[in-house]
Formats: sequence, C-alpha cells, structure tokens
Amino acid sequence: MADIAGVNGQRENFRVVGKHNLPGKLSYALATGIAKFGIDYVLPNMLFAKFLRSPYAHAKVLSVNKEKALAIPGVVDVVTWDDPDMLSIGGGFGPPEPYLTNYADYEGCEVGVIVVAEDEDICEEALRNLDIEWEVLPHSVNTLEAAKDDSPLTCLKPEPPSMFGPKEPKKHNVTHVVTAQGDVDKALKESKNVIEYQLKLPTFASHIPNPPASVAWWEDDPYLGEGPNMHIEGAVQRREQIAQLYHMPVEKTIQTGLFQGGKYCDWGMRKSQEITPLLARRTGRPVRCANTREETFDFLMNERYMYMKVGFDDNGLITAIDDYSVDDNGSLGSSAFGGAQDQGYGPYYTLRCLDIRQQMDVVDTNRGKMYLSGQHCPFNWDSGTMAIYLIAEKLGKDPIDIAKLNLHGPTSQEDPNPVPSFEACLETGKKIMNWQWHKAGTKKLPDGRMHGASFRYQICPRHAFSGYDSKLELRDGVVHMPTQGPCTGIFAVECNAMVVAEELGLEYEDISIDFDYREKFTPVGGGSDGTTASSWVTKECANILKQKIIAAAIRNADNPPPPSMFSFGKPQTPNPLKGHKPEECDMIGGMVCLKADPSQGVPLKEATQENIFATYSGRPPASIWSTGMGKMLDTMNSLFCEVAVDTDTGEVEILRYCTVADPGKVIRPTSLESQIDQVAYFSQGCQLLEEYVYDEKTGVRLTNNMIDYKKPTILDVPDVEKTFLETRSGNAAYGASGISHSLANTHLLIIAIHNAIGVWVDTPATPDKILKALGKA
Amino acid sequence: MIGGLVIPTGVPTKESEQVTYTLDTAHQKASDMVKSIPANLTEYRCPLCGQVFSSYADMKEHYEINHYGSIPPVMITLKLNGKLCELLVEPHWTLKRTLQFRLGLTGAKHMCDKGVCGSCTVIVDGRAVLSCQMLAVECEGKEIETIEGIAANPKWKPLIDAYCRWDAMQCGYCTPGFLVSAKNLLDRNPHPTEQEIREALAGNICICGTYPRHAQAIMEAVQVMSEGA
Repeated sequence: MADIAGVNGQRENFRVVGKHNLPGKLSYALATGIAKFGIDYVLPNMLFAKFLRSPYAHAKVLSVNKEKALAIPGVVDVVTWDDPDMLSIGGGFGPPEPYLTNYADYEGCEVGVIVVAEDEDICEEALRNLDIEWEVLPHSVNTLEAAKDDSPLTCLKPEPPSMFGPKEPKKHNVTHVVTAQGDVDKALKESKNVIEYQLKLPTFASHIPNPPASVAWWEDDPYLGEGPNMHIEGAVQRREQIAQLYHMPVEKTIQTGLFQGGKYCDWGMRKSQEITPLLARRTGRPVRCANTREETFDFLMNERYMYMKVGFDDNGLITAIDDYSVDDNGSLGSSAFGGAQDQGYGPYYTLRCLDIRQQMDVVDTNRGKMYLSGQHCPFNWDSGTMAIYLIAEKLGKDPIDIAKLNLHGPTSQEDPNPVPSFEACLETGKKIMNWQWHKAGTKKLPDGRMHGASFRYQICPRHAFSGYDSKLELRDGVVHMPTQGPCTGIFAVECNAMVVAEELGLEYEDISIDFDYREKFTPVGGGSDGTTASSWVTKECANILKQKIIAAAIRNADNPPPPSMFSFGKPQTPNPLKGHKPEECDMIGGMVCLKADPSQGVPLKEATQENIFATYSGRPPASIWSTGMGKMLDTMNSLFCEVAVDTDTGEVEILRYCTVADPGKVIRPTSLESQIDQVAYFSQGCQLLEEYVYDEKTGVRLTNNMIDYKKPTILDVPDVEKTFLETRSGNAAYGASGISHSLANTHLLIIAIHNAIGVWVDTPATPDKILKALGKA
Repeated sequence: MIGGLVIPTGVPTKESEQVTYTLDTAHQKASDMVKSIPANLTEYRCPLCGQVFSSYADMKEHYEINHYGSIPPVMITLKLNGKLCELLVEPHWTLKRTLQFRLGLTGAKHMCDKGVCGSCTVIVDGRAVLSCQMLAVECEGKEIETIEGIAANPKWKPLIDAYCRWDAMQCGYCTPGFLVSAKNLLDRNPHPTEQEIREALAGNICICGTYPRHAQAIMEAVQVMSEGA
C-alpha cells in the first residue's frame, strides 16, 4: 500500500471515515436559503454595472459617444476601454495592458464599455443609448473551416504567454502540435489490421449554476491598518488573485462569504467577478455586477474532430496509434486543457502499444471561450474506448477482453503483469451487469427495441500538484479546524474533519470547522487533491495534535492543578494517566486513555486545559497519475451501460448505467456517489441532449439559454449503479486516490447506440439524428 | 431600512466567521429573516436617481417634475410568509427581483431567468410558481411562501434535515427551489411515491447531479413526519 509514507497509513479499522449521511457543515444554510452566493448580495446604496457585450462574432469598437447614455437619469458612470483606470488594474509580465479592450473575438464577449447605474434596467438603457462605431471583422465559428488557409483570420491579437498554451508558432489560425513515441508509420505499415475512424468530441456548456457575479465596496477598518480595504463578495476562491489584480495587500482584501456555487473545474474568473472594486472606487458606493444566464454559456470543453488510424494484430493487440485532431482553440485566452495539454495524459499510454503519434491542429475560432477547465479529464479518452470497441467488433470479440489484452502492467508499458485494481473492477462489473457481449445490431428486446451495450475504463486521477498548510487547535476541550472559505460542493472540509475525528478518537460532530477568510488552509486542489491529498495533510496534522494532547494530559495527570474551593474536601478521582508515558496512551472514544486498557482514561475536555496548536505543511507522495502519465497504473475505474433504441421513433432509453470504481479508499461516500452521478449526467447531456447551435453567417450562438440548450432533468437520468472497491493503492489519505472527473465521457452512450443499431450517430444523438442515421428521416 | 432597501441579514461582517450551521441555527436564522420583513414603508426611494422621500405622494411629485414621462413605482402589499408587507416596486419587476432587491430574501435563486430551471420556485396561493416569471404586482393579495418561510416553520425541519443528511445538494444553489417544490408536493400529497416525487421535481434542474438523493430525502422526511404526527 502506498500510504505507508503517512502516519497511520495502515489503519485497518474506521469508525468515521467511510460513514454515510453525515451532513455537510454548510448544508443547513444551503437548504434553508440563507446561504448567500456572490449574485445574492444586496447592499444599501448599491449601484449596478453591466458590460457592453459584442453583438458581433469578431469586431472592434472604434469610437463611443457616451453623451446620451450619461444624460439618462440614474446613470452614474460610463467607463470606456481607453480610460486611464483600465491600466490601473491588472499587470503581470510584460508591458501593462488595459483590463478591458475594444476588441471582441466572439459574440457576447465583454468589450469596450462598462456602465454603472442605479439599477440594471438603467444600465441596459444606457448601453442601448451609446453611439458606437463598430468595425465588423470577418469571423469563423466553424472549426474545420477556420483551419483552412483561406479562412478569415479569426484572431488579430497575439497569443498571451500561457503556461498551458501551444508553443509552436501559429500559421494563420492554426498551431500544430505533435507528440510521438516510436515509429508510427513503420508500425502501421507492419500492422496486420488497420482501422480508420473519426469521432467528434462535442462542445458543451460549463453551466455554472449561479451566474458569476460580485459586489464590492471600500471601507476603513483600524484593525486592518491604515488605508482603505477592498471588500468583495463573489470572487470565489480567488481572493488572492483579486488582491493582485488591484495591487492590494492580500490582508487588506476581504471576502467573508462561504458559498461559491458550482465550479466544475471551471476556475476562470469572469470580468463581472473582477471589475466591481474598480467601479466602487470610482463611484464611492458599493457596486454589483452580474452575468445573466445568457452571458454564462462558456465552454466546459471545446470541440475536437479526431481522425484515427489504429493498427492491431489478429488477436486484438494494438500495434500502432495515429491520432490527428483538429481542435477548437476558441477565443483568445481559452484554456489549453482539452487541446494540446491532453496529449500527455490521454488513453494511449495505458496501452502496451509503443508506437503512438498525436498530431493536433489547434484552431483559433470565434465560437466562444473556454475558461480553465478539465471536466473531461483528459478529453480525448474515448478515442481509445472507441478503438477497443471497433477492434472487438471487427474480430467478433468482447471489448473487455480486448481492453485486458492491451492494458499494460502497473510499472510501465512493457510490464506484462495485470493491474489488480483494473482486474477487480472488470470482474466485479461483469458480474453485476451479467455481461454478455453481442455484435452490433444483433439483439432485439422483447418489446421490439434494439439492445446495445458498451464499456469503458479510466484511471482514477489525483493530480499531486497541491500542497496544503493544515492547522488544528485544541481550545477549551474542543478540536477546531480553521479553514478558508468559500466552499464548493465537493464537501472537502467534511472529508478533512472526518479524518481528524478518526485520528483523534472523536466523532465527526465533535470537530469544529471554523471558517475564516484570513486562514491559510483551504482544501482546494487539482482533481481529487482537494479531498484526498488535503485529508492526507490534515491526518498528519491530527497526529501531531494527538501527541501534544497526550503529552499535555500526562503533564496534567502528573501535576494536577490544586482543587478549587468548590471541590475542597471532596474525594478526588485518581487520574489513570498519572505516571504513564506518552507511548502508553491513546485517544479513543472521546477519552485520553491507556492503550492497554482503554476504559482507563479521562474525557478530552478534562484531560487538559491547555490551548494546543498543531501545524503541518506538505503534500502526500506524488501520485502515479501525475508522474506516470498513463505509463504507470494504480487505481482504476470502469463504466458499463446498456441502452434500448426504438428504431421507429429514434428514442434512446438508458437501461442500465453502472460503475465499478476503485478510488483507493472511500472517505466520504455520500459525496463520492454524488460526484459520480454528476459526471454521469454531464456525460449523458453532451451525448444525448446538449448542443451549441450557431448561425454561421453572423457567428451568433443561437442556444444560449436553458430552453434551447437542454440539460437533463430528474426524469431524464438513469439510476447510476455504483460499486466501490478499496484497494488502498492510491497515494493520499489511507491510500485514497479519488475519482475526479474520470468517469465523465463523450462516447459511452454513443458506442452503445452503435452496438444497438449498427450505425454511428453524432453527438448529441437526438431522435431525429438516429432516424436519419437509420435512413428513416 | 435604508432607501427602501432592507439590509439583508446575511451581509457579512469582518469578524472571523466561526459559523456553525445546524438544523436549529439555520431554522432560527430563517425565522429572523421572516421576522425582519417590514410591514410598512418608511422611506420612498426614486429608482431613477436614488433620491429618498418621506411619502409616496412626494415621490410621485418628484417624478412629475424630474422624470416626466417615466412610470413611477407602485405601492403594493404582499402577504409574504404569513406577514403583510408594504412595498414600493416598479410595475415590470418580477417577484424574484422584488424578493431580492426590496426585501433581501435570496432563497429564491436566479439561474435561468426563463422559467426553465425551477431555482426561483416559490409557492403562491398553494401552487409552486416560478418567481422569475411572475410580476410582483400580480401577487398582491395572494399568499406567498418562500424557502425562508418554509425553513422558519418547525413542521418542515425533518424535510430540511433529511436533505442535509442525504447530501441532496452539492453546490447548493438550486436546493431551495427543490425544497419549495418538495414542500408543495407534500402539502398536496403527504405520502408520495418515488415516481410522484420525481414528477413533482421535474421542473427543477440541478447541474451537480443530485437528482437521486432528493427522492431518498423526501421519502425519509415523510416517514419521520408521519411518525411525529
């Protein structure tokens, strides 16, 4: 087990960790409606702000006459991109750039002007009354068209330096990125069989439930030193980033709200979350700026067209992989996750195949923006799922057998040994599903519908990039766990508190989670780091606290305070810890007690009156996922589904959707189950329902609302059957790895539909597309 | 109240937020929010320029003089969570907007603003309605229940408790809307089947994927409430 590096890593018995139905520390506030998100804040004398948003897919604002707007009663301020204040915020490397520019590279992009008024209606009226001279530029919202040399130039600004961005020089709209190992051309030539196929990874919306918004104001506070303090709510977990943006010391940047809403790895700040301090400074009043739902249709994933060639032997062993992709890079500043960034983490390196080439044309378009994201992690995983399915189909074999044949061993691509976690997931899954494979289009259900099935595996990732600074305190007999807010819905602080309770022999309810925006600790990290790695650090800290508590309890036993006047003359209970050494003591059942006889102990509240602190900074050992990048394997997961397709109506029903996953160790099962349901519904949405539709002529997105862009409802979703295995082979707390988004997929249902009807249907596989694919529409 | 606006109870302070939300403290806070709903207006703030007047007549006169041609806000009385409440509201304002920006009640959430997602659900005269699609002026004389009112009623503590113990929320933004729909269902049908629950919640969208846990929570709450009845 990997977690021997941590204190108590080999713990066998768990009282708190793994327990169901422990309420989240903020759940009662959420359920009762008293929780306030950024968009909810309303302050006395508050002003409202709105950005001008480009009605064009690609344009420049040449000039703005704001006289008419300023004359409207209730308009307080109109700020244009060339205002000196636009240079007063921002910064970083290189020459200063204005925070807001006059350039828009997608429809709906904030551009050129911000208005501030007494209410939002007045803001909108002011925006309508601006006299704007636009230069409308040619655009493209078609990724494949934009990739062509004769397409319009979609981006006129140079790519800003980015830690994730493509490195090669751009040609027209395209940056070409290649990673390769082995000799793919030779391997393909020598392969006994070669399949070629295409797949489109769909775009879908990040769909943050709470539209991004902030309210900011400036205030004096002698406790925080001289000078004004910047108070902002709605900047979510980016208080330090906001401080940097405004060149403010972080200790004079205040954000006390605890609720940040849904952030599905969409960590990019919107301008509405950043601009309010500037506007509040200009106007001397609190200012609120909120996105509408229509303004919150950013991409969670950019679209990608994949052209695949896969060579394989007659037994199904893959011998060569050639992946050529055309990937939407979106507008300027979009994340490279889902593009070039994925090449190192894709599915291919989990295979024995040594000849792999990934080429990608990363194309600038005017389709929209993808903020930092990673819901599909990595995005192209199902190109591998598809290869396994197609090989199985061609050879008349079960795709699970093809997957088992091709997956390499735990230590390298040359390792012939099985991966225990993978084997356990598959065997369990096959039993649960009563797995009986059939060829495409061959199984009819008694009701006349066609039956299809599919299977997929993934790695359980933990990024291992995040370090944590944990602090615990015993105060007046109660263990406190201070932490920063605001929180998102992964229940990470609850995981931490469960671990602290486990290690200290207490109950979950005994741990006081103290939210304080000034604290250093926050259980936020990449992938499952926020739950499992932060819990590893907290576990170390809890054990330091435990040793200090035991030492203090023994000190108290050996040298107790004199009896108080109220207890004078009463018989004193002998302290069982007296004369014992720390290594002879433990904390069990809320007592500091003797290991040899746990019934001999003192309740924690009475064991010591000392105020005791423990701190621990660090991170667990690096995860296999981050260091192996697919070439080493530990915790795995699998997904199985069955569908029924009605060939008369084109309707798809998900009959079964089942996961067998090994997160290493389950810490908080209720939230783990919820995470899996979430990715199941995301995956269902992008394969069956959700679609961005553009008017290519104008570049306008036509589905920026929740009527035309359909998310699954409670009546749409399947019951997701879940089985968890605990191999404890991860690297974080108790051998946990977590799940992250690894069960999210783009093609599990699409493959099952193909298995049912024998023809391919593009995402989203709506009934009309299915009928069309069947030649019936 | 300043300028026609109630300072919301949830305005943060700079002190360390050592908040402990339990069933009882959240219930108490919701009760406090309901109690803080003002019965009468004491100030009349011009929505166009922010000027504050001491009477409605003065504000209307101000409109005639300074904003000629603009439609002044109207005075309405809402029956909100059992309390009569006098308000100054612009005729085109939705109930959702009025709850937030006139009363500081933010349990009804802004998500789609198109009547699709159910996050702003409230109960009006016994029916679950979408407050983003209903004008405040339409609600005069009607009984309005918001999540704050439901949370302040001890009868519904088992429902809220079950929601929290079953994690029928992740980010929690849509949760009040679900709870209002659930309460409305239980008003009409105290012993719903799982399918009836799903149908009653079909108008509420959760992006975090909490759907299965709503039925679990509601079924458990029904049992607890039955035992306690």
